[in-house]
Amino acid sequence: MGSWLDYTINGLIIGNIYALVAVGLALIFGVSNLINFAQGSVYAVGAYIGWTCFTYLHTPLAVTALIVVVACAGLGVAIERIGLRPLAGAARIAPLLATIGISLVLDQLLQIVFTPDPRALTSPLPNWRISVGGGTIGALDLLIAATGIVSAAVLYGFLRFTKLGWAVRATAQDRDAARQMGVNTDAVNMTVFAIASALGGLSGLLVGMYFNHIDPAMGFQATLKGVVAQVIGGMGNVPGAIFGSLLLGLTESYGVAIFGSSYRNLFSFALLLLILVLRPNGLFASARSTPPEPMTGSFVTPNRPVRVPRWAIVAAVVIAAAVPLIPAIPYVLQVLTNAWLFAMLAISLTLVAGTLGQISLGHASLLLIGAYASALFALDSHWPVWASIPAAGIVTALLGTALIAPSFRLRSHYVSIATLGIGEIVGLVILNWESLTRGPMGVTNIPPLQVGNIELDNPRAAYWITLGILVLLAMMQTRLLRSHLGRIFRAIRDDDVAARAHGISLGRYKAIAFAFGGFAAGISGGIAAHQYSYINNETFTSTVSISALTMVILGGMGNVLGAILGAVALTALPEMFRGTAEYRMLIYGVALLLLVRFRPQGILGTT
Amino acid sequence: MTALLVLKGIDTFYGPVQVHFGLGMEVRQGQIVCLLGGNASGKSTTMKIILGLLRPRAGSIFFEAHDLAALSTPQIIRAGIGSVPEARRLFSAMTVRENLLMGAFARSDRAEIARDLERMLELFPRVRQRLTSRAGTLSGGEQQMVAMARALMGRPKLICMDEPTMGLSPLFVDRVLELIQAVNKEGVTIFMVEQNASLALAIAHYAYVLQAGRIILQGEAKDLARDPRIRAAYLGGETEPAA
Repeated sequence: MGSWLDYTINGLIIGNIYALVAVGLALIFGVSNLINFAQGSVYAVGAYIGWTCFTYLHTPLAVTALIVVVACAGLGVAIERIGLRPLAGAARIAPLLATIGISLVLDQLLQIVFTPDPRALTSPLPNWRISVGGGTIGALDLLIAATGIVSAAVLYGFLRFTKLGWAVRATAQDRDAARQMGVNTDAVNMTVFAIASALGGLSGLLVGMYFNHIDPAMGFQATLKGVVAQVIGGMGNVPGAIFGSLLLGLTESYGVAIFGSSYRNLFSFALLLLILVLRPNGLFASARSTPPEPMTGSFVTPNRPVRVPRWAIVAAVVIAAAVPLIPAIPYVLQVLTNAWLFAMLAISLTLVAGTLGQISLGHASLLLIGAYASALFALDSHWPVWASIPAAGIVTALLGTALIAPSFRLRSHYVSIATLGIGEIVGLVILNWESLTRGPMGVTNIPPLQVGNIELDNPRAAYWITLGILVLLAMMQTRLLRSHLGRIFRAIRDDDVAARAHGISLGRYKAIAFAFGGFAAGISGGIAAHQYSYINNETFTSTVSISALTMVILGGMGNVLGAILGAVALTALPEMFRGTAEYRMLIYGVALLLLVRFRPQGILGTT
Repeated sequence: MTALLVLKGIDTFYGPVQVHFGLGMEVRQGQIVCLLGGNASGKSTTMKIILGLLRPRAGSIFFEAHDLAALSTPQIIRAGIGSVPEARRLFSAMTVRENLLMGAFARSDRAEIARDLERMLELFPRVRQRLTSRAGTLSGGEQQMVAMARALMGRPKLICMDEPTMGLSPLFVDRVLELIQAVNKEGVTIFMVEQNASLALAIAHYAYVLQAGRIILQGEAKDLARDPRIRAAYLGGETEPAA
């Protein structure tokens, strides 16, 4: 490759593939106001079904594609019927969390069945290319383009001329009114999931063939790209999603042409944030305005939080502090130290997501910022570790808040998308800013925890330090929640319009909450960096963000003790049962699904 | 005259808050029956439980032989009830024509649907001019007509109307009331919820007055229009009637 025409063709082809994912997302969002985070997983399943067909059944491409479409449509129906329909009437964010859970389960199942190793998915198409101008087009390019165009045409015909298509459109515009015309909206939901999943699976097959590469983790990026394309075109807007996908494909392709391939995703997410800040309703929306969602993002079900007596908390802390005295195996201490670090992240997230109601899906990026800040202060500025970690907390508080600040006026789902995008951007900037972060090499030889000249390199000392800091942070946050500030946070969560009408400046209080949360997460990341002694841009990924969210929901949104309990339960328990560690994400996914369905208020209750 | 719709002993709750207390009423075939009440009296909730959008905790709702408590909203519509929702609720991005055809969603007799569409356009000539416009661009009064026509397109035996005159200019209010009467004369039974008692009683045959979830008054519309209690509660304003 080299010519601009090649990059253009490449961009359009990639855009076409994104479109198959994004159209499905748009249909689902249109009909049920839901971002289907499982869409990418269905896409990965489609790729693996295709691989299986090619490898074991030796089916021709057309038959393979048909099998993929039918199987994925079935999977979509199952997702809707089993995972989502029982949640009708639950908090609006509940189905979104459920799709995250479904996505974790599907991805992990693929990994268990097909191993985590990537596989080649060789295209059975003839390997000719025709020259067009300065570029070339191959058979697969044409197939992808044709699939995109034909799918769009069929979809248009379906929505425009069939009765079910009308029902889909009517449901998207006004669900209750559609029911009052006799439309069976459950059937509409199921149809939409079937179509979206069929297109998603087909896309996975084509992508696998295009790159001659599939792996079980490929779905997450696909979901992200689909969401970005959809935001560009306007959430729920089907033609907009196609346009957004092509624009995204071209942007990425030209970005890669100019800056190199490690910049591909940076361009997508920068575009996402730009759109979210400037035109949150998408490029086709008539006016610059906040998205008209008549809901708060809160997942906080009204309930009475479990009252834990003060003596029990003190006793728990004492017992936790005494654990290293038992001649236990260092492994247990390591696991628990890790749990305390996660607990710091969880109390940070529970403040932002639970108390303030801003469901952040990019919280792990705060860990990354904290880890890099402390490591670089210690290594490059030769600061002592006892100073670099608090400094990392402050840097994370400031930087994290500054990054999220442009998105403060967004609400509910859009907050989740924005934080997801920011999380990805942080990782990608770290990857590409080599002069500061050492790029893909990562940071090595990070000094261990020490105070003065006393090295605290043994598991016991590390354990006590992390536990001590956690207790301190938890006490600070509990005080904060009891103060006037805590009441304002909850007011914003429960009704931001009413809060604003009472003169509360939303931006300022969101900044305070994010700064406090950023501080705790930054400290956690800082400690982790010195414990691991090596970090890179993938030390804390979006998987960590999702794990933290699961912990917070398990404990009870907004509940500080609950967050700690959730962190311990989900970090330590899988380790206790040997052999289940590799099923960790499966456990998280199932836990998330069960919680959302049966105990949305978590173990200790929301506050 | 037989009762088309019968509600008995209805208790409805929103979470812990009780809305209806043993609500009972009936809508007789061929009549215009209206349910009057002030804010928070439970009027719109009554509409919701008839349409299956909300389930009462106790009591029964029968439409002819159908036990509505056992049916979903789409099934209730298919059983022969049409709905003109509060604030119209048109499909704003679809054309007026598409909206009208959505009203016939539960039917499959294409030729008859086309004939009914033509009939609606005769009944609502104003709608004809806007047939290809997006419904969201219509004025409130025009939208109300489209909403009524849309409900009629399902050939319902009973039409439920939630505050059909709300938010309309006085000129349109009269027009809408005339149309309701015209539709009723064609044999469609009408059940409407209204806040504007004098208007509703002017066209209704029978009326119920709902207060805090209980029926406190019922009777022939012409009697109720003269009833001092009604006048005090809904027409008279501040002054209490002399005992």
